[in-house]
Amino acid sequence: MKRKRSFSLFFSALLSSALLITACTGQQANTGDPQNTKNDSEQIVLKMGYYSDPPTQKKMEELLAKFMEKHPNIKITTETGPHAQFFQKLNTQIAGGNAPDLWLSDGVKVFEFAERGALKDLREWIEKDLSKDEYYGMDANKGPGGEVWGVPQGIQIGVLYYNKALFDKAGVKYPDANWTWDQVKEAAELMTIDASGKNGKDPSFDPNKVSEYGFTIFSSPVGVSRGWFPLMKTFGGGVLDSSLQKAVLDTPENKQAIEWMVDGMKRGIFPDPVDLQSFQDPFKPFLSGVSGMQIDIYAARVKMREAGLNFDVAPIPAGPAGKRFAPSIVNSWVISKTADEKKTQAAWEWIKYWATDDEAQREWASLGEAIPVKKKVAEEVLTSDTSLNAKVFLDSMEFAGSLDANAVFGEWRKAFDEAMFPAFSGEESVDQGLKKANDAVQKVLDGFYKK
Amino acid sequence: MNQNTQLAGEWKTDQRPEPKPRKRKRLDSEGRWGILLISPYLIHLIVFVAFTSIASLYISFTDYDMLNPPEWTGLANYSKMIDDPLFWKALKNTLYFTILLVPIKTALALVLAVALNQKLKGLKLYRIAHFIPVISSWTVIAYVADSIFNPRFGWANSLLVSMGLDPKNWLADEQLVIPVLVAVAVWKGVGYMMVLFLAGLQNVPGDLYEAAEIDGAGPLQKFWRITVPLISGTTFLVLILSTISSFQSFEQIYVMTAGAVDGVAGGPNNASLVLMLHLYREGFTFFHMGYASAIAWVLFLILFVFTFMQMKLQKRWVHYD
Repeated sequence: MKRKRSFSLFFSALLSSALLITACTGQQANTGDPQNTKNDSEQIVLKMGYYSDPPTQKKMEELLAKFMEKHPNIKITTETGPHAQFFQKLNTQIAGGNAPDLWLSDGVKVFEFAERGALKDLREWIEKDLSKDEYYGMDANKGPGGEVWGVPQGIQIGVLYYNKALFDKAGVKYPDANWTWDQVKEAAELMTIDASGKNGKDPSFDPNKVSEYGFTIFSSPVGVSRGWFPLMKTFGGGVLDSSLQKAVLDTPENKQAIEWMVDGMKRGIFPDPVDLQSFQDPFKPFLSGVSGMQIDIYAARVKMREAGLNFDVAPIPAGPAGKRFAPSIVNSWVISKTADEKKTQAAWEWIKYWATDDEAQREWASLGEAIPVKKKVAEEVLTSDTSLNAKVFLDSMEFAGSLDANAVFGEWRKAFDEAMFPAFSGEESVDQGLKKANDAVQKVLDGFYKK
Repeated sequence: MNQNTQLAGEWKTDQRPEPKPRKRKRLDSEGRWGILLISPYLIHLIVFVAFTSIASLYISFTDYDMLNPPEWTGLANYSKMIDDPLFWKALKNTLYFTILLVPIKTALALVLAVALNQKLKGLKLYRIAHFIPVISSWTVIAYVADSIFNPRFGWANSLLVSMGLDPKNWLADEQLVIPVLVAVAVWKGVGYMMVLFLAGLQNVPGDLYEAAEIDGAGPLQKFWRITVPLISGTTFLVLILSTISSFQSFEQIYVMTAGAVDGVAGGPNNASLVLMLHLYREGFTFFHMGYASAIAWVLFLILFVFTFMQMKLQKRWVHYD
C-alpha cells in the first residue's frame, strides 16, 4: 500500500513537472505576439542568423546593440556559427519550421533557398526605401520573374594577387591592368624554381621537384571563384547560359582556357591538384610565400597580411580577345518566407539600417572582410587603404559577374569537379573532360528544373 | 577442465530458476516502478530512435529538399541508386575499407592485448600509449597523420627517398588513399579493441595455462588452444563493433580528404567516397534528403545482413563458457 502511494506520488510529481515545463515554454513563446498585436510601439522579437568567426561575431553584436538602441521596439536575438555548420543547421531549422526570421546568406546560396521557396521577395521594400544606384550588387539576387531575394551585405570580388618579393627576386615587372594571360604564364615561368634553383624557362628545369611556383590557379571546387571559372569567362566561355538552366561547357573557348591551365600544370609552373594537396591547405603556397601569383577574393587580404606577405593586386587579366571578367560574390541579407508581417517589417528595418547607415558600413569594413555595399563608403574605405593598390577592387566592379549561382550551384560545381578531374590530372583530354562535364552538369540542372 | 564444466553447471542451476508462469495481466506495483524507472530510456528510444527511423523510412520514398514538404515518389530514390555510379563506387570503397580494416585491427588488438596482459615494467604506460589515439579527436589525428603522409613534408616520403625509392602522394593517390586511411584508422581504433580483449583475457583462468604447461604445451599452443577459444566471445563482439563502425566511418574521411576545405570530401576522383560521405553530401549539401534516407536504409540492410551472417556463423567458433 505504501509502495503504491509512493508510486503515485512520484508519478504525479513527474507529470506536474512536465506540465510546468510545457507551461513555461508556452509562456515564453507567447511573450512576443499578443503584446505586438496590442501595441505597435511594444517590442518585436526577431531571430537573426549569420555565419561568423570571433572578430566578425564581436563586430556584429556591437552593430546590433547600436541598432537596438535606435529601435527600442525591436529586439534581435542571434544564432551564429562557422560558415559550414551555420548553413547545415539552417537547413534543418527551415525543415523543422524553426527558421530564423532573417539571415545572412552566402551570395552563392541565395538562389538555393529562393528557388526552393524559403525566401521573401524584397522587390517592393527595396523600391520603396533604397536607391539602387547607390549600391553594388543590387542585381545579383534578381530572379527570372523580377523578384529580388536579398539585399547585399558585403561584396567579394576576385583579383590577381601577386607576391612582390618573388617578382623582385625573378626581376619581373609587376602585373598591371593591361596584362594578358600570356604575360601571366611568361612571368610564372621565370618565377618557378626547382630544387636545384633552375627556373621554368631553363631546359633542364625539373617540373617534379618544384620549390617555388609561378601561379596558383585552382582546378578544385574553390576554382569557381579562384580558378577555372573566371579563366573560362575571360576566354569567352562559361558554365551556364543566361537562363542558368543550360550547360554550355563544350565550347572551343572553354577548351582553350582549360588547356592553357593544364599546360601550366604539366610544365610544373602552376601547382597541380596533387601538389596543392601536399600543402595541407591549397591556399598555403601563396600564403607561405612560395607562389608568385594567385587569383583570390577581397577577404583574402586579411590572411595574407597576417602571414606577413609583401603583396599587391592587379585586375584579373583579359582573355585572348580582350574580354574581362571579375568573379563576384554578393553576400546578402534575406528574409524568411515564414516571417509574419510585423517581423518582416522589423527585419527590413535592420536591413535598411545596414544598407543606409554609413557608420555601420564603415565599422563592418574595418574588419577588412568585405567591400562595403554602399558605393560612397566603399570608395572612401578603399581609397584610404594605401597599403596596396586598392582601387583595383573598385575598378574590377566594372566587369564583375556572378558565378552562375542557381538553385543547384553546389551540386553542379561538384559534378564539374568530378568530370574534369581526369582532364586536370592529364589522364584524359580536355575535350573529353568538357564533354563529360557538360553532360554531368546538365543532368544536375535537369534534376531540379525539369522535375 | 572437469572442475570448470562442473562450476559452469552449478552456476546454471543456481542463477536461472525456471520462470513461474504468470497469469496476471496487469502490472503490479513493482512492474509499474520498473516501467517508470526505465521510462527515460524508453522515451529516448521512442522519440529519438523509433520515430526518427520510421520517419526516415517514409522520407526515403519521397522527394524531400528539407525546405518544402516531402512529395511521395515511391521507389524512385531506390531506382536512382541503381543508376548512380557514385553509389556503387561508394559501396565498393566502403567494402574495401571494411575488409582491410576489420581483420587488421582485430588481429593487432589481440596481439597487443596478449602482450600487454603480461607482467611488464611500465605496463600502464604502454596501455595508455595505445589508448591515447582512441580519445583524441579526428582533427588531431588528421594533423598527426599529415606529418607522416604529407607528400612534401611527411616522414613517410623521407623514409622512401632515403631508401632510394620514389616518393608517394599517399592521400592524393587513388590507389593508396584507402590503405592509408585504414592504417590511420587502425592506429586510432586499435586501443579500444585492445581494452575489450584485455577484459576478455582477464577472465581466462590462469590454472588452465598451468595445466597446459604441465602437459608440455608451448606458448603458441597455449595461445591457439586456450586463449583464442576462451576469448572467442570477445572476439565476436570486437568483430561486430568494428564492422559496424567501419561501415559508418565518416568523420575520418571527411577530415582527412579535404572536406574542411571545400565541403565536398571524397579524396582524389572519389577514391575515398564511402557510403556515409555520399549520404551526407546528398542530404546536407545537395538537398536530396529523400535520396540520402534511401541510402541510409540500404546501408542499414547491408549491415543487418552482415551482422546476421556473423551471428549465424558464430555458432561454429564462439564458445561462451
